Amino acid sequence: MHFPWWYVPYATAPMLIATISIVHMLVAHYAVGGGLFLAVEASYAYRTQNSDYLAYLKRHAKFFVLLTVVFGAVTGVGIWWTIGLASPLATRVLLNTFVFAWATEWVFFLVEIISAFVFYYYWDRLTPAVHSTVLWIYAISGYASLVIISAITAFMLDPGEWLKEPTFWRAIANPQALPQILARTGGALMLTSLYVYLHSAITVCDEASHSLIEKRSSRPALLGAILIAAGGALWYVMLPDSAKSALIAAAVLNVIMAVLFGATAVVFVLLYLGPYRNPGWISSPGFAASLMLFGFAGFSASEFIREAVRKPYIVYNHVLGNQVRLVPDEVAIMREEGLLNASPWPRSYVKANYPQCVRDGRIDEDALGRLAPVERRRVGGVIFQYHCNDCHALDTGYSPIGPLIQGWSEEMIRDVVLNLHKHRFEMPPFCGTRQEADLLTEYLHDTRPKRPTGMDTGGGKGP
Amino acid sequence: LNPSDLIDQTKGWDLPIPAELIFALKTVGFTLHAVPMNLWYAGIIAAMLLAARRCEHARRFSARLMRQMPVIIALGINFGIVPLLFVQVGFAPVFYPATILMAWPWLLIIALLLPAYYGVYIYSYSLAAHGDRLPWFPRLAGWAAAILFPAIGFIFANAMSLLQNPTGWDKLYLAHNYHGAMLGTALNTGDPRLWPRWLMMFGIALTTTAAWTLFDAGWFARRESEAYHAWVRGLAWKLYLLGMAWFAATGSWYVFGTWPAETKEAMFKMPWLPLTVATAVAPGAVWVPLLFVARGSGVVTRGIATAIGLLQFGVVLVNAVSRQVVQQLEIAPAYDILKQPVNAQWVPLAIFAAVAVAAIAVIVWMVRQVAASHG
Repeated sequence: MHFPWWYVPYATAPMLIATISIVHMLVAHYAVGGGLFLAVEASYAYRTQNSDYLAYLKRHAKFFVLLTVVFGAVTGVGIWWTIGLASPLATRVLLNTFVFAWATEWVFFLVEIISAFVFYYYWDRLTPAVHSTVLWIYAISGYASLVIISAITAFMLDPGEWLKEPTFWRAIANPQALPQILARTGGALMLTSLYVYLHSAITVCDEASHSLIEKRSSRPALLGAILIAAGGALWYVMLPDSAKSALIAAAVLNVIMAVLFGATAVVFVLLYLGPYRNPGWISSPGFAASLMLFGFAGFSASEFIREAVRKPYIVYNHVLGNQVRLVPDEVAIMREEGLLNASPWPRSYVKANYPQCVRDGRIDEDALGRLAPVERRRVGGVIFQYHCNDCHALDTGYSPIGPLIQGWSEEMIRDVVLNLHKHRFEMPPFCGTRQEADLLTEYLHDTRPKRPTGMDTGGGKGP
Repeated sequence: LNPSDLIDQTKGWDLPIPAELIFALKTVGFTLHAVPMNLWYAGIIAAMLLAARRCEHARRFSARLMRQMPVIIALGINFGIVPLLFVQVGFAPVFYPATILMAWPWLLIIALLLPAYYGVYIYSYSLAAHGDRLPWFPRLAGWAAAILFPAIGFIFANAMSLLQNPTGWDKLYLAHNYHGAMLGTALNTGDPRLWPRWLMMFGIALTTTAAWTLFDAGWFARRESEAYHAWVRGLAWKLYLLGMAWFAATGSWYVFGTWPAETKEAMFKMPWLPLTVATAVAPGAVWVPLLFVARGSGVVTRGIATAIGLLQFGVVLVNAVSRQVVQQLEIAPAYDILKQPVNAQWVPLAIFAAVAVAAIAVIVWMVRQVAASHG
């Protein structure tokens, strides 16, 4: 707990990362796949001298640049913003490990932007050979960005040998890198086809052009589907045991998995019924939009699952979800010194508000225990914020604690607090002293909802 | 509270490159970012004001700048990633607390940037469709962008001044928390350095915009009339003078009115005195040549445009170096990057450098193709 914790009512701060990431990914994959689409298709159109198709591609390029260069780039910066605010410790680990991977990715991003402006603004002014080359420069640099970023994000799920030998190369060649690169490549191809279908359904009127666009885009969509399936299967096989178990254990992830499989199945069925069996359907904006929405739903679900299965870690076996490092073993340090003494911001808060509990510059936890009950609960609230709010709202919002301990006795809560990771493998261990566990217990007991009345559970009425 | 008590002092955070290299990359990155950032910061306001004038050349220049603005903004955002990356690598223990204190305003930057950026596109595309007699909506979008970008600058100035002001954190923390967790609603408005710092950047931005008028004329507006070039020569030195006066006033306020005694003492003694003086007088090194250019006639030559562009780049660079030095002086008592252990990643750095060189070659090739397409 090296940094101050940001309290976001109801949602919890990390959910902001998930929200912005998902929105960004829906555009970022198109930024990569769309680059490949434009490069391949413009080269084809030049080769076949199909001026109508080139005209469509030019219109598509305008939409592409407006969406990816503005919205995609700004939301990408937004991810930087939110990970620094909501998960500063893991961000610091990633930056220290991958600074030059990120710097290299930035170089590719620069080439992407410049080539995007060149191919868009000079569409009719460059020779076909030069124009195609610029489009390929964009496509290659965009794909290089995907490879680098996928390897970095995959590292969080399983750093592999890096845990034993923390070098850049061990980190970048982590076990999840290849599966995620494959799946994201597929996602980029598939999503791009869905964007193309929707865009063409709205902007193209003649049948011949529709037929061509459909035919040309169905192949990358199918290739994308294969890559998603291959990458997804490999992802699952390579998952750490805890992540596989988390996937099965969490009810919400089961529901989201159902959404993922359901939406993906719908996309496959619609692709089969539409572009494959009934080519005319896809020219309807409603059909294309439905396809896109189901694609978005499946994609968003997969992104959410990818993030959620990491619990109790942010970086597997290295950073816990509550911003505690395992190397060095900060859990042991905090159990010895106390969460409040070992964490700069809560320590300063308690020192400023309860100076009577400070002895020789350190917080005297026995003195905290002698505070009035209302004050003890306030300190318990501080421990809740720093230890629990990463993943749990208090009583309402994202994964709230309240309903989980509704009607529990103080002893039940204390037992769970002291043995968090033993009760639930996807929880971190309690990172504090026995006195701090008592303070947190008092706070949770005081704020928990009462057991519902009027329940008959057999063996006598009520609890 | 002692500011050092609020800063993470745990070990095991070896820097991946020496601190000096972090300073160098951060400074170069910030300078590359600052040039386009200056153009949207003051340039959009200037363009919107000039668009309302009767002078044909003023409207012409306004339209030129706003048509260029989408590319300028894209490059500015891209270059902004570099200092953002290296400030986090080098200064994580102070950067994260400062931004978390003001998390919501900091996040608001993203929300403001989107409409500002799209506003510029709306205005730019409308210029192509309507010429410089725009309907109300694109004009509104242009003005929205003109206001939103300085507002974003204000939030940035807050974050960067807060980063340099750990002694002010405790009051903000205790006033903006919920059970010891940050509400993320603090702003550094109580810090007297904030206001002149924010306003000073506008002065530099005006000078960069002035230099750009000439750079654009020499490189990209060669087909414009001689009358247009004459107007640009006249505008450049006047706009530069305004920016210089603004910079002098707000810079003096910042340095003499708000710098802590320790900063002042360090910056007005060796080894930093020459840097302080250079930062103060550097704009004059551009303005004087601009005066001579104003007396000339005909189309602005590429040589003049390049010279003015390079000189202004130097002004922004010197300013960026000064910022780094002052930042280091003010943060060092709480967190000194120069004392951090280093475990350098030389091979990844070499790969990054090689990719960067290759990318520059590719970019140069593309620019040459674009130039060739113009004949």
